[in-house]
Amino acid sequence: MSKTPDLPGEVSRRTVITRAAAIGAAIPAAGLLGACAGGGTEEKKSETGNTGDAKNPFGVKDGDPLEVVIFNGGYGEKYAKDIHEPMYKAAFPKSEIKHSAPTEISTTIQPRFAGGNPPDFLNNSGAKAIDIGSLVGDGQLLTLDKLWSAPSYDDPKKTVKDTLIPGTIESGEFDGKSVQLNYVFTVYGIWYNSALFSKNSWVAPKTWDETTALFDKIKAAGITPYAYAGANAAYYQFEVILSNAAKIGGAEVLKNIDNLEDGAWQVPAIKDSLEFWAGIGAKYMDKAHEGLKHTEVQLQQNQGKVAFYPSGSWLENEQAKETPADFKYAMTLVPSKGASDKIGFTGIHATAGEPYVIPAKAKNQAGALEYMRIMLSKKGANEFVKLNGSLTSVIGSSDGATLTPGTASAKTALDAAGKDVFTFHINDWYADMNTEMKAATNALMFGHQNVAQFVERVQKAADKLKKDSSIKKNKVK
Amino acid sequence: MRHGRNPFIVGFLAAPVVLYVFFVILPYVEAFYYSFTNWRGFQKAEWVGLDNYKKMLDDDTFWKAVSHNGIILLLLPLAALVIALFFAFLLNVGGKAKAGVSQGVRGSKFYRLVFFFPQLLAVPIVAVLFQSVYRPDKSGVLNGILGWFGIEPVGWLIEPKIALLMLIAVMVWQAIGFYVVLFSAGMSSIPAEIYEAAELDGSSPATTFRRITLPLLWGNIQTAWVYLGVAAFDAFAIVDVLSNNQGGPDFSTTVLSEEIYKATSAGKYGYATTLGVALFFLTATFAVIAFTSTKRESVEY
Amino acid sequence: MGTQMTKKPRGKSSAFMSLGHIALAGFAVMVVLPMLWAFVSSFKNNTEIFDHAFTWPAEFRWSNWIDAWNTAHIGTYFFNTVIVVFFGVAGTMLLGSMAAYVLARYEFRGNRFIYYAIIGGLGFPVFLGFGPLFKIVQMTGDVPVIGQFLGLNSYVSLVLVYIAYSLPFTVFFLASFFKTLPGSVAEAAMIDGCSHTRLFFRVMLPMAKPGLVGITIFNVIGQWNQYMFPTLLISDPDKWQLTQGIARISTNAGYEAKWGPLFAGICMAIIPMIFVYAFFQRQIQSGLTQGAVK
Repeated sequence: MSKTPDLPGEVSRRTVITRAAAIGAAIPAAGLLGACAGGGTEEKKSETGNTGDAKNPFGVKDGDPLEVVIFNGGYGEKYAKDIHEPMYKAAFPKSEIKHSAPTEISTTIQPRFAGGNPPDFLNNSGAKAIDIGSLVGDGQLLTLDKLWSAPSYDDPKKTVKDTLIPGTIESGEFDGKSVQLNYVFTVYGIWYNSALFSKNSWVAPKTWDETTALFDKIKAAGITPYAYAGANAAYYQFEVILSNAAKIGGAEVLKNIDNLEDGAWQVPAIKDSLEFWAGIGAKYMDKAHEGLKHTEVQLQQNQGKVAFYPSGSWLENEQAKETPADFKYAMTLVPSKGASDKIGFTGIHATAGEPYVIPAKAKNQAGALEYMRIMLSKKGANEFVKLNGSLTSVIGSSDGATLTPGTASAKTALDAAGKDVFTFHINDWYADMNTEMKAATNALMFGHQNVAQFVERVQKAADKLKKDSSIKKNKVK
Repeated sequence: MRHGRNPFIVGFLAAPVVLYVFFVILPYVEAFYYSFTNWRGFQKAEWVGLDNYKKMLDDDTFWKAVSHNGIILLLLPLAALVIALFFAFLLNVGGKAKAGVSQGVRGSKFYRLVFFFPQLLAVPIVAVLFQSVYRPDKSGVLNGILGWFGIEPVGWLIEPKIALLMLIAVMVWQAIGFYVVLFSAGMSSIPAEIYEAAELDGSSPATTFRRITLPLLWGNIQTAWVYLGVAAFDAFAIVDVLSNNQGGPDFSTTVLSEEIYKATSAGKYGYATTLGVALFFLTATFAVIAFTSTKRESVEY
Repeated sequence: MGTQMTKKPRGKSSAFMSLGHIALAGFAVMVVLPMLWAFVSSFKNNTEIFDHAFTWPAEFRWSNWIDAWNTAHIGTYFFNTVIVVFFGVAGTMLLGSMAAYVLARYEFRGNRFIYYAIIGGLGFPVFLGFGPLFKIVQMTGDVPVIGQFLGLNSYVSLVLVYIAYSLPFTVFFLASFFKTLPGSVAEAAMIDGCSHTRLFFRVMLPMAKPGLVGITIFNVIGQWNQYMFPTLLISDPDKWQLTQGIARISTNAGYEAKWGPLFAGICMAIIPMIFVYAFFQRQIQSGLTQGAVK
């Protein structure tokens, strides 16, 4: 009995981060182009059998239904409905595909795991993704080794693994098990409207000094220089803080954080980065943004009221319908502190993301594996790029696709980065850390707490997590 | 006439009790069991003894949540009851007496209709409405109004000091209509002669209210207080859908039920049920105290 | 409120009354304004919605309403909800009044135990039992013969769950109501050879009508606005309830920024309820009135 008849509390929400919270795991720092040497634990032939038939390596039975659950977020559901499902259907015409596309995965699908009847194929993404650590810890997911070692869709001489950008498979490993396909290749940066900038002859800054100098000019022009949406996208800002710390102190900084090393948050690189961004928050941000959502702040950027907005490479596509004609998305990187930085300005946070999993209790595992193989085919990946304007983890998937200005600038940045690619996992691996980091980031950026308090509370949360034996820990090698 | 008494009792109770045991009691009993395990929401649940309970007592957020429930428990019933009583009084006996019978103020029919509206809205709808009302820039309804007076926008839900109060205000907003009706009901059954007598004695409305209405309504008020108190222990819906970052900013509005929900979505079912058990005992304690302390006299008239 | 006007010797003091008028009107505005605002916003485009709060839409964009109706299937959800709530409330009232009656008027061993076990449900945090409830409902789908009507994605299951969770308050409310009914009538009827069942349906239930009306309304509103149970038990979009539909547009607005259609959808959900309520207002309020004083 609540005060009134709406007896049990209700969960509705539009607290929706666009992609934010659950963008897949990531690649070990050096993994991306550092050619994932070794890693070849090939061939564990197992019960569902690797038939060796390049057309149907997993032995899918035509006629077995396949249930596909797609997260209806930044990439929508169209790519599944219009590209991959028809491809599957063409191969197995008698099989019926049951498609659904919820926006809250854990609300709708978690109970089905609990009940032992999960779908065959799941795009476990979004702000309400099911905690991957729990899924793995409980043995709820199928390992994908069979997929990686299967012949690729287009060339039977190559394995599926050979067709992927190195590091992709590792990015989906938890607890030493490869359980997740990270399909979309995501690059993180700070976004602006290149049309507006060239009109004002503003140039995206490369150093902290240039940043504050430019922000002063932008502010004088009556535009809010920098913004992120505190209500549901605090993740974007701690991404910036951590990326900046990685540039200052090297990828080691992030690795130590991921591995919950003692004092990982108390190093100078973190403190410097926090200090700088807290200063930006105090001087160049709009206090109201703490209470606004991603789409609301994006609208302001589209209207020319906000200059810079940190986000991932899905942003442009996600906003496509709302973007005015004179708005040209472009991406720049987190600025450098100075010459003593371990990683130069071109260093970039990039990772394979957007997770897809196959439940261990899926009824049609062979079908789900085949579905993944289809997604990773040349056609499957290329059409995805064309439809969604985002890069995939398949090598050369953007060949022949006309990239939108934003995606093109992201790709350029990625190419320029060379080996300086880094990422972090802490928030994906540990839900508690994610919560604490988001809260602490908002408190810092909107002036409720200072740097020392940030460091203290986040370190404390990490220490507590480390001591908690009930939570499985992952390690970056 | 005793014949058929027992079959009748059994017959009438069987269906409701079976349904209730099956769909309500059973899940709760299972949940109690899970509070001693590390259940992750799937199949396996390992017994971990009191670990979850130790962790809970050690958790700052837990205590924050409890204290917020406490604040709501103090403010929600108080505000809702005082306002609802005031309105009900105006609507029933506030107007000029007609033919010796006390009337509500002018427009009381309209008010009764309108005040009940918030009751008709599902929480997802209330959430959308109040997100618009509280929006922290000039596009928010409240800040738009303040803007006319040249006042800078206020971050209603992002200032940690006021965010919880703003949420409580919504709960009060939603609750008032129902209690106005409830108290109106009580008041309209108070015999008109009593009010006439009071009026003849030259008693002011405030005095009438204090000396007559209040004591005669005491039973209703006590019931209302219990309802609202239990509601204060829930408070989940509004906190979850309306607050910044589900219980934020920075945990300044979180309540126990919200923490349960978050633990659940993080896959910590075992721990979530532990929090649930704590909530259960808090609510139950309140309910027992409230029921026993309100059991005594209710004024007869 | 106003202790300062304590000893005014005549009738309603004017200060008190004007304060009262202001408060009433003020609260009426507070109730109506957000809804009106949502209505006006349903015609706005995104730019207007995030402009100053009291900007008028440049034109009446009915396309928002069409969009909400077509893409959000508000009509379907509305109908689904009507079905479930109808049976849910009917069942709740039947079983609830039966249980309340027996518990209120018959002494037997275990009476208090059952009564308090049911009332205790009022204090349970509902989603504490969610995981297990899901499993239980799912299991019911495997029961022979009746299983095909139960299980997940079944209105029958949803109705039964609604009934079970509405029982605590219904029984609590009605038991105290039945207690107050005069025993003399019951005795007279029994002496006339009336069976217990007949006594209940023919005599006691009609006498309790005012209380029944009140609690019926309570349950209609409660079940109409229910969100958690449908979300848990109904995943098939064809069977969604209205609240799920609203939450869906609302969630999607975070991704697709369709704010105008969101407000249109909300209006579609609110307006029928307001009309229904306005229409039945007299019965509802008098029902609550009579129910409440017991």
